[in-house]
Amino acid sequence: MKNSQRIFASCSSLLVAALVGAACAPKDAAPVVNALEARDAWARPADSGAMSAVYFTLGNGGTESDTLIGVASDVAARTEMHVSMQQGRTMHMSQVTSLPLPANDSVSFRPLGAHVMLMDLRRPLVPGDSLSVTLSFHSGRTVEVRASVRQP
Amino acid sequence: MHRFIIAAALLLTACSGNLERGIVIEDADPAPALAFTAADGQRFDLAAERGKVVMLYFGYTHCPDVCPTTLSDWARAKRALGADTTNIRFVFVSMDPDRDTPDLALKYARQFDPAFIGLTGSTQELEDLKKRWSIAAYPEGDPRDGFYTVAHPAHTFVVDRQGRLRVMFEPGVTGEELAKDLRKLQ
Repeated sequence: MKNSQRIFASCSSLLVAALVGAACAPKDAAPVVNALEARDAWARPADSGAMSAVYFTLGNGGTESDTLIGVASDVAARTEMHVSMQQGRTMHMSQVTSLPLPANDSVSFRPLGAHVMLMDLRRPLVPGDSLSVTLSFHSGRTVEVRASVRQP
Repeated sequence: MHRFIIAAALLLTACSGNLERGIVIEDADPAPALAFTAADGQRFDLAAERGKVVMLYFGYTHCPDVCPTTLSDWARAKRALGADTTNIRFVFVSMDPDRDTPDLALKYARQFDPAFIGLTGSTQELEDLKKRWSIAAYPEGDPRDGFYTVAHPAHTFVVDRQGRLRVMFEPGVTGEELAKDLRKLQ
């Protein structure tokens, strides 16, 4: 082996070692495997006794799919998952009892689509306020969503 | 003479649309009757609104998603138009007579903009309105537990300055898009 080749070979092994090291090195933060996360959560302002909706992006950073099967919040007498649907010229809203969340994917709860519906609010929701919604998954895991109250 | 024809053609183009998002109804018929007294005592009669553009939405106040999305978009459009909205009326009509009252309808509409008009009527008045306007609105789910939803028209209806039912907007049209089209319509 010529000198230049030898240098190249050793550099390559170093590079490979560095890459393997980076891939295998434990991260400082908690492991991200199967991480479920809700981002950018917000809720519409509404009076006490009225209804509101909560919107967010729900991400599954893990390698296993999961299914959202329950929503709960102490600000409303009843909390449900709903989807708005347009059929022809008419708008409907349907309750959804389970929502699949594939591995390494995300779903958006957004206006005119899926939303968490807060029914018969126990207190008024005013801009600047915040509230929590607990999401329950088929795997048994739960995610606490902190939503700020604001106009869209 | 030529100049007159060109001017007339330009005017026609300006009036007949090229709207950004509005669905223009060609050969539009006069809008059906719609008149209610609001909770503040003000009578709203669509027939008396000639010369104004009237935006109409048929929804319900317990609607947490589609109605507030639409009315927020209206409010955004109104803000974008600034002082230029004296000839536009924004009218929300609740189609849920079992839960809504004129007072609730007005409060609901005013949450989005103090100038918005909120109306409703008796079950019979709303049944007649649905027939005249050929629109569907009915409770879904179990009305007995008070948590039912109401199927209702998806679109915003626009009555032009001549009183014709002229344009419809799909839900989800943004305030900025609405503002552009309203500038052309008013």
